[in-house]
Amino acid sequence: MTHCVVASIPAHPICSHQPRPPRSLYRIIPSESDRISVVKSLQSSSATTHESRRECECECFNLYKELVPYRQAWSWQKKIVKQKKALIERDEDCPDSLFVLQHPPVYTMGTGSSEKFLNFDLKDAPFDVHRTERGGEVTYHGPGQIVMYPIMNLRNHQMDLHWYLRSLEEVIIRALSKTFSIKASRLEGLTGVWHGNQKLAAIGIRVSRWIAYHGLAVNVTTDLTPFRWIVPCGLQNYQVGSIRGLLGEFESVADSRRKQLPDPDDGQLLDIACKSLINEFSEVFQVRINYETISRLEFLEREPLSPLKEEAM
Amino acid sequence: MASRLASRAVSYLKIQVTHRGFASVVKDLKYANSHEWVKVDGNSATVGITDHAQDHLGDVVYVELPEVGVAVKQGEGFGAVESVKATSDVYSPVSGKVVEVNEELNSSPGLVNSSPYEKGWIIKVDINDSGELKNLMDSDKYTKFCEEEDAH
Repeated sequence: MTHCVVASIPAHPICSHQPRPPRSLYRIIPSESDRISVVKSLQSSSATTHESRRECECECFNLYKELVPYRQAWSWQKKIVKQKKALIERDEDCPDSLFVLQHPPVYTMGTGSSEKFLNFDLKDAPFDVHRTERGGEVTYHGPGQIVMYPIMNLRNHQMDLHWYLRSLEEVIIRALSKTFSIKASRLEGLTGVWHGNQKLAAIGIRVSRWIAYHGLAVNVTTDLTPFRWIVPCGLQNYQVGSIRGLLGEFESVADSRRKQLPDPDDGQLLDIACKSLINEFSEVFQVRINYETISRLEFLEREPLSPLKEEAM
Repeated sequence: MASRLASRAVSYLKIQVTHRGFASVVKDLKYANSHEWVKVDGNSATVGITDHAQDHLGDVVYVELPEVGVAVKQGEGFGAVESVKATSDVYSPVSGKVVEVNEELNSSPGLVNSSPYEKGWIIKVDINDSGELKNLMDSDKYTKFCEEEDAH
């Protein structure tokens, strides 16, 4: 398969640290199959198997077949964050939550985002633009892109943002590798998941009292055209890619003697990607996924939420 | 303020951070368990985040500052700090009114990393309830708190 290596990727190990290494004992060790295993280490011992740790519960709202309006998903997140903060204050158990969904076309900007990375006038934007409270620059969400919003009580895991971001990347890298045989990687200093200089997944989070929300977006079958109307994540010399795009590239250089299998359609690709991402999420974070129905969300809807500062442009 | 700190024999307490080195804690400041520090001078307070906090965050790329004149309350968020695609809330260790914000952080957010107790200060507050200061930790308690949190 074509594999374009950017010079800044270290040859081994693939995960690169920020200039300041995380203080937790999160380590990357290459396994026999040259995959990356992320293990949470205890303070004084070497890697522990996850059977010896109690698994945390994580409720999952799997809406991946739906185009959930951005505002709606944002509002759900904020309500759940508020709920979790209250639980923590009362010193009660506070499990994690996870949304999996798609959005209709929308641009979102992070806290420090610059308008110079928009190639259009805000008054004449092709889609809605939301300035949110997550980190990172502007990005696009749309059909064909799986978005995951984990709402994680980092007290259940590691109170370490570097660890958390690297773990989110790990979820995606593993899913791409195991399910699509795509060898994706990290780029030093550039949060996200890459194949060569193509960004396949973007990550941006907000943390409040060690509850992390917002999350990640993986381009599966996304139409990438709307990315051309922004400088995605503020990165000028990089491209955006998708799983479908890469599989198409691989196909074109495939061995002609190989039996041609029918290509999965977009729907199948999304199904497979979603299952794989949730599975890897459960593995990396050592949580037991409990699927919740939308009625639990509707219960949230009935709870009044005091007006929070939000700007839609 | 910087020269006052420099001219005194400031003793820095060290908190052990695994892997790396030590985060510094300044005596005579008060600390919140959300890793903000406050320097109190009568009814005037200067607030920032600690060396321990900036170290955990990594390179700060953006600081969300409140407006001058807004009220702040002890324990409530007043702004945010962004690093590595993660934006984190910052909480006020005191209650009162914001009288000044560090505009330099707009162009140089990295001051929070390089000088968390001095040039990287975030807001100045006129305190309206100095009794609340007893809810904060002194440098010894804060050092111990960090060590316990890191051991988690």
